[in-house]
Amino acid sequence: MDSTENFSQFRRQSKKGILVIYLNLIYTALKAFWLLLVIFLQKFSNISESTVFYIYLSVGGLLLFFLIRAFLIFKNFQFKIENQHFILEKGILKKTSTSIPFDRIQNINFKQNVIQQLINVHEVNIETAGSSKAEISIKALSFAEASALKDRVTIDVNAFKAEAKENKSPLLKVGLSALIKVSLTENHLQSLVLLFAILVGFYQQISEISNGLGKQEVLDNYIFKNSSALQSSVFLIIGLLLFLTIIAVVSSVVRVLLRHFNLRVYLKDNALEIYQGLITKKSIVLKKDKVQHITISHNPIKKKLGISFITFKQAVSGKVKKKQDKIIKIVGCKKEQIAIITNLLFPNEILEAEKKNFSNVYFKFRMYLRSIVFLVALNVLFVVSQLGIWIFLVNLILFPIVVFFVELQYRKRYYYFNENILVLNSGSIETHRTYLPFFKVQNIQLKQTILQANREVVDVVFQTASGKIKIPCISMESAQEIYNYTLFKVETSIKSWM
Amino acid sequence: MPDFFQNNTVTTFPEVAKIDFKSIHNKYFKVIVIQTTLLFVALFLVAFIINYKAVVILNFDVFWLYTLLSLAFITVLFLKVIGFKKRKYAVREKDISYKKGVLLQSLTTVPFNRIQHVEIDQGPIARYFGFVSLSVFTAGDSSDDLKVPGLLKEEAEQIKEFISTKIDG
Repeated sequence: MDSTENFSQFRRQSKKGILVIYLNLIYTALKAFWLLLVIFLQKFSNISESTVFYIYLSVGGLLLFFLIRAFLIFKNFQFKIENQHFILEKGILKKTSTSIPFDRIQNINFKQNVIQQLINVHEVNIETAGSSKAEISIKALSFAEASALKDRVTIDVNAFKAEAKENKSPLLKVGLSALIKVSLTENHLQSLVLLFAILVGFYQQISEISNGLGKQEVLDNYIFKNSSALQSSVFLIIGLLLFLTIIAVVSSVVRVLLRHFNLRVYLKDNALEIYQGLITKKSIVLKKDKVQHITISHNPIKKKLGISFITFKQAVSGKVKKKQDKIIKIVGCKKEQIAIITNLLFPNEILEAEKKNFSNVYFKFRMYLRSIVFLVALNVLFVVSQLGIWIFLVNLILFPIVVFFVELQYRKRYYYFNENILVLNSGSIETHRTYLPFFKVQNIQLKQTILQANREVVDVVFQTASGKIKIPCISMESAQEIYNYTLFKVETSIKSWM
Repeated sequence: MPDFFQNNTVTTFPEVAKIDFKSIHNKYFKVIVIQTTLLFVALFLVAFIINYKAVVILNFDVFWLYTLLSLAFITVLFLKVIGFKKRKYAVREKDISYKKGVLLQSLTTVPFNRIQHVEIDQGPIARYFGFVSLSVFTAGDSSDDLKVPGLLKEEAEQIKEFISTKIDG
């Protein structure tokens, strides 16, 4: 711990922060108005010189306004540490004062985007369970300051000084070749959907603005032309599929490299420190006690290569939707590394020997029932839409797919537990194994439809601070056993669940 | 701190099958009937206005719409009648449970040491009959926490008091 850094007095961030805030303001403005800017540039030649002068003037004025604003934001942004609380005061006109007790802090992340890397400052985000956004975001701190702050907040005051001296060799390191393996074996379909979602958002933004300018027709025509051309040629469709596949693979490679480049995990006292990122570098401090449950996942190819990824779930407030950012993932873990991490989070737990309990056959039956309902609805749609008789051939393709997935899902659904931890296996092509310590459960539910009641099977739903976990369709008897045992564990537990 | 290491073991497992569940007060049934009726009166009114003012041009006889609504009303009321008997709650030393449902039955138990806060609230109709509902909130997804409607006010206050002392203690 750097003893020269003392946070007992109010202090501001590094002066370089003004630049970071300034550029951030400009960036946000550009992001909101970039389309108008593009349209404006197109018509640039039509604008008379005197107007151009005013436009330059107003842009200049705007830039100056942002600069003043950035300065004021910087000036009014102060923080300190006082009896185990982090205190922040900010706001130009509307003053806000935030105080967060240390034990409520969930994680502290460092971030460095390109600009922050250039001027060598670190952004520090302090998160609690309360909100999806970072509650406190300090834009610019020197590395010494940032790590001193992190140490002050994470290290328990009562911890021995000697222990604070961390060993600097990483617990886990994922190199470039491993990362490429990871990215090639990602779920490419998911990458494609993600990319598609971005493109749709993009299209909506364009059409919204061009709508206002009366250009909707042009855009629609353009798309219509393209789509009618698409129908005319089978080759084009095959080409498109090939193209999409390449796009999907490339986008997953890019995504994985951007996010997880140079991934290292260090162990420090009661926390895991994760460093990663190519352009925006990120470091996350993950407190051991705050982890609600973890999931270890792999797919068949990943399994062959012997790599999987671990997802850590922390408490989130019920009202906010889970943000992608909040989910902390370590990709490309080998077997030994997984063993290290599970052993760290759940020390001395032996689970391998426990008996696997499978769901009742009713689970399979229910999945088939749901698929049949879906297929019937689809066929009704076919009849109504009058697409021709050949469309019903789709059923021939869909049916084996349904059977394949249902059988696979049924086979992968099982659970086992020892004294303290419940392990749930699930998935279809991918396999997910979730480790849930019993005492982290918030409340527990038994659910049973009338059909299930006839078979005497029941769903058990564990409500945790980071979402639901479900064991579907197990016998009433074993469900009650788990129910009672979980309540027993929770009600006698004195460990803090968060 | 002498009582810090207090070993508060539960010697016997809490057994869910053996909980003595209490039924909801019989009079609360009226509240449910009135609420359902009001809802359907509103729906009928909407159907009537749509037909009368021709907001949407219906390409079938409005009679079918009314029949459909009436059938829905009877079904819902029927389910509520059966469902009322299934609504049961239990407060034990360390947790609170609530059972409900006809087509989809559920039993929820919330341990006291996971409760964040307890709330008592009251709708207009329930207030007329002197009933309140008691909700407990945990850190989990708040939509799925436990809510017991149809408690008498004093009873709910007692339970709330009981839980509060348990949380603090």
